[in-house]
Amino acid sequence: MAGQKVGEAIRAVLDVIGLGLKYTLRPERLTIYYPYEVPDYMGRVRGWIGLWTERCTSCMICARICPTNAIKMYMEKNGRRYPGIDYGRCIMCHYCIDACPTYALYPTDMRDLAFYRHEDMMYTPDMMRRPPQVPKLVPQVVKVVHEYSGGRVVKVRLGEHGEYKPLPPAPSVPVVES
Amino acid sequence: MGLKMEQYGMVLSEVESGPGGKRTLELLFGPQHPTSGHIRFFVELDGDIIVDIRPDPGFVHRTMEKLGETRHFMMNIPLFERLSLPDAINVTWAYSMAVERMLGYDVSERAEYLRTLFGEMSRISVHLYDLALHAIMIGSSTGFMYGFGLRDLLVNLWAIATGARTTPTWVLPGGVRRAPPKAFYERLAGFLDFLDRKMDEFYRLVVKNPVGYYRLKDVGYLSKSDAAAYLATGPGARGSGVDWDARRDMPYGVYKQLEWEVRVHDEGDSLARTLVRIEEVREAARIIRQLLKAMPMDGPLVGHNAAHKIPPKEREMLNELVRMSGYYVTTTNLAEGTGVTEGGRGRYFFQVFGAGTERLFRVRISTPSWQNLRAFMKATIGARLMDLPAIYGSFGFFPPEADR
Amino acid sequence: MILLTIVWAERKIAARVQMRVGPLHVSPRLGGYFQLIADAVRFVMQEVIITVDSYRVLFVALPPLFVALALMPSFMVPLSPYLALLSRPSLHYGIIMALAVLFYLFIIVVGMGWAVNNRFAYIGAAREALIITAYEIPLLDAFASMFLTYRTIDPIEIVAKQTYIVGALYNPLAFIVYIIGVAMATSRFPFEIADYEGDVATGPYSDFSSIFLALTYAGGIYIALFSYSLLGALVFLGGWAPIAPGPWPADLWGNLAAAAWVMIKTFILMLFFVFLRSVMPVARLDHTLSFSWRWVLPIAVAATAVSAAEYFLL
Repeated sequence: MAGQKVGEAIRAVLDVIGLGLKYTLRPERLTIYYPYEVPDYMGRVRGWIGLWTERCTSCMICARICPTNAIKMYMEKNGRRYPGIDYGRCIMCHYCIDACPTYALYPTDMRDLAFYRHEDMMYTPDMMRRPPQVPKLVPQVVKVVHEYSGGRVVKVRLGEHGEYKPLPPAPSVPVVES
Repeated sequence: MGLKMEQYGMVLSEVESGPGGKRTLELLFGPQHPTSGHIRFFVELDGDIIVDIRPDPGFVHRTMEKLGETRHFMMNIPLFERLSLPDAINVTWAYSMAVERMLGYDVSERAEYLRTLFGEMSRISVHLYDLALHAIMIGSSTGFMYGFGLRDLLVNLWAIATGARTTPTWVLPGGVRRAPPKAFYERLAGFLDFLDRKMDEFYRLVVKNPVGYYRLKDVGYLSKSDAAAYLATGPGARGSGVDWDARRDMPYGVYKQLEWEVRVHDEGDSLARTLVRIEEVREAARIIRQLLKAMPMDGPLVGHNAAHKIPPKEREMLNELVRMSGYYVTTTNLAEGTGVTEGGRGRYFFQVFGAGTERLFRVRISTPSWQNLRAFMKATIGARLMDLPAIYGSFGFFPPEADR
Repeated sequence: MILLTIVWAERKIAARVQMRVGPLHVSPRLGGYFQLIADAVRFVMQEVIITVDSYRVLFVALPPLFVALALMPSFMVPLSPYLALLSRPSLHYGIIMALAVLFYLFIIVVGMGWAVNNRFAYIGAAREALIITAYEIPLLDAFASMFLTYRTIDPIEIVAKQTYIVGALYNPLAFIVYIIGVAMATSRFPFEIADYEGDVATGPYSDFSSIFLALTYAGGIYIALFSYSLLGALVFLGGWAPIAPGPWPADLWGNLAAAAWVMIKTFILMLFFVFLRSVMPVARLDHTLSFSWRWVLPIAVAATAVSAAEYFLL
């Protein structure tokens, strides 16, 4: 491929400047204004993991398959051990949910977790019954999704984002109402 | 390579090499540098020309090969995914292929199609990542934002299909883990249209722009015989005329049934490598469009051998979700298996040796960035200092992958 | 005020081209306009680090000198027929003095590179010294050809000669040379070579932090850009020449409207330079030098020829 000729180079420069001007005047923005808007993942994103202790049989398969050794078994008052997850180590791969034979561990789609102290990250089984309630940063959070139509991207607002609820661990497995 | 503190200011070392000697400036292109990545280079400069470059890798060495021996072979999948996160699917696909060959597992047809589709998406993801980094190393922050903005849209598609944006953890030995929902296919088609338009604009902004063009042209020349001798791989080799692509030459997936081309350029400079990348993005979009028409929407997500291990109650869910219970009780044979895939940066090679327990005896990994390092060094010697970022980005050098 | 606006505009324009939103959070109603104030407060409160093996005197003294020298030319040139800090006869030579001061800026940059005393700054300073050879002569030539066209070097008379036909139309070649020269002089993309983050980690400015950085990299460069653009607005874009013929209506301080008109033109020029950041990568050093000597210098000579023709014809 030979080098560019002068006319071609000048035309390329003008083309680029025109492109920049076009987008300066009519920009196409993709930004999602977090935390006022959050992207909508149809509830399928792998988030915080919770536990229904009534289904757990203390088989410890979850602790053994966790790739980062995030699950420890804690002895509870009834003499049995239940899993507690250290969210400092958890990578949210959901191997534990997929390995649990009795569907005791359940997923949510909550991924924004922040803690002040390292000790707060180690969840014990009694803390894992319900998803943690975080204080709201802004009064209203809207779910958005990027829709495509004819080669352009549009950000569509889908409605308000409610609070995080437990999701079924596998298709057609009921959620434990508490 | 020890440097004393008082010498730090201006190290002009007198090197007697050849008649008259030569004075060179030794520059530490260290890990704390905007364009060096996680690797240090000892660059010796004679004026503006690089006369020698010695890499100092190992800053991101995470002992992944050793870690692979200490855990259940299924727990290795999230581990090896983090070798090269933008290209997550192709890396774990190579590992899964190796484990399948060791265990004697087959893969279901739907899983092959899904793996190929996501593998091409992964190729687009890693090419966008590499092109974006290359653009900002050349100086165009617009190219950087275009690459990462497009990748953000792609990664949101991965989130609804596999469950996480950048760490899908989706390929299992025998198949895949989850089936994508219907909305995924519609959005993917729309995304590809947007991608084509924006890649064209990226090309005009960064590559066809005479400023960027002359930044890349005739820079970092690697001849065809050198590329073959130094075992360059990926766009590093295909930009020099070496026509090798693991998807065609060691076939896997459903690539044989699709119409696509291997993009090769003959010039051997950075421009050729960058053009190979841009054209591979277009080829990947073409492959995905063909796959979207031919994709089976129903069927088990794992092959028969893996499905036999899964308890009957969970076998009903096999069209949508594969649970870990069958894999947890599988142990490895006393056999070996190898898997080769063509990632965006080059070819990934995994060789696993089973131990008879649920752990592997040895995992051996060969990543494209480590292979390209020698070719990268050869291409850089003789270039100017300002060409170092351009060559670095054109090879798609990624230190975490190189150091494993 | 101008600094605030131009840096805000740079980030917002780059953001618009790049499919994103620039600074927004600091003052959301105004679209993030006060971001630079937040940045400036942070710069001022940051710990002042003077590295151990730098030449202290130069390290501390050069950044304020940079800003002073960058701002001085804009005081030497009149903003309107009545708003000028110098009076005749020294106003006569305003543009020449301004150019001379601006060309001294590069010495300060090289000095800063030397003062910082690390290898990357050394390379950056060497590059800055090489770049000056690229743009000094063509830029001077562009201004010289405009002086030939107008037959005078007095800024007030230069502006008086431009009504509808501005300087850029008299001699478009000189205007192109001016734009390329100023882009090189103030390290605008595509010529941000001396303080190139990708390679030499912002070169001469690399070890500066806090107030020094705010004075030079984040502030001083834009002030230099302002001075150059003011010169360009006067010479090439018509200064305060009103669109309709006739004198300006009398205002506060005599013709504040004229001053505002000049500022608007300056601002448009600055916006163009700042816009270049979002569309251009960075050229290589030897390409810049060869481009300048092989292409820009002949165009500048051609501009002078055109001006000489106009001198005799008009």
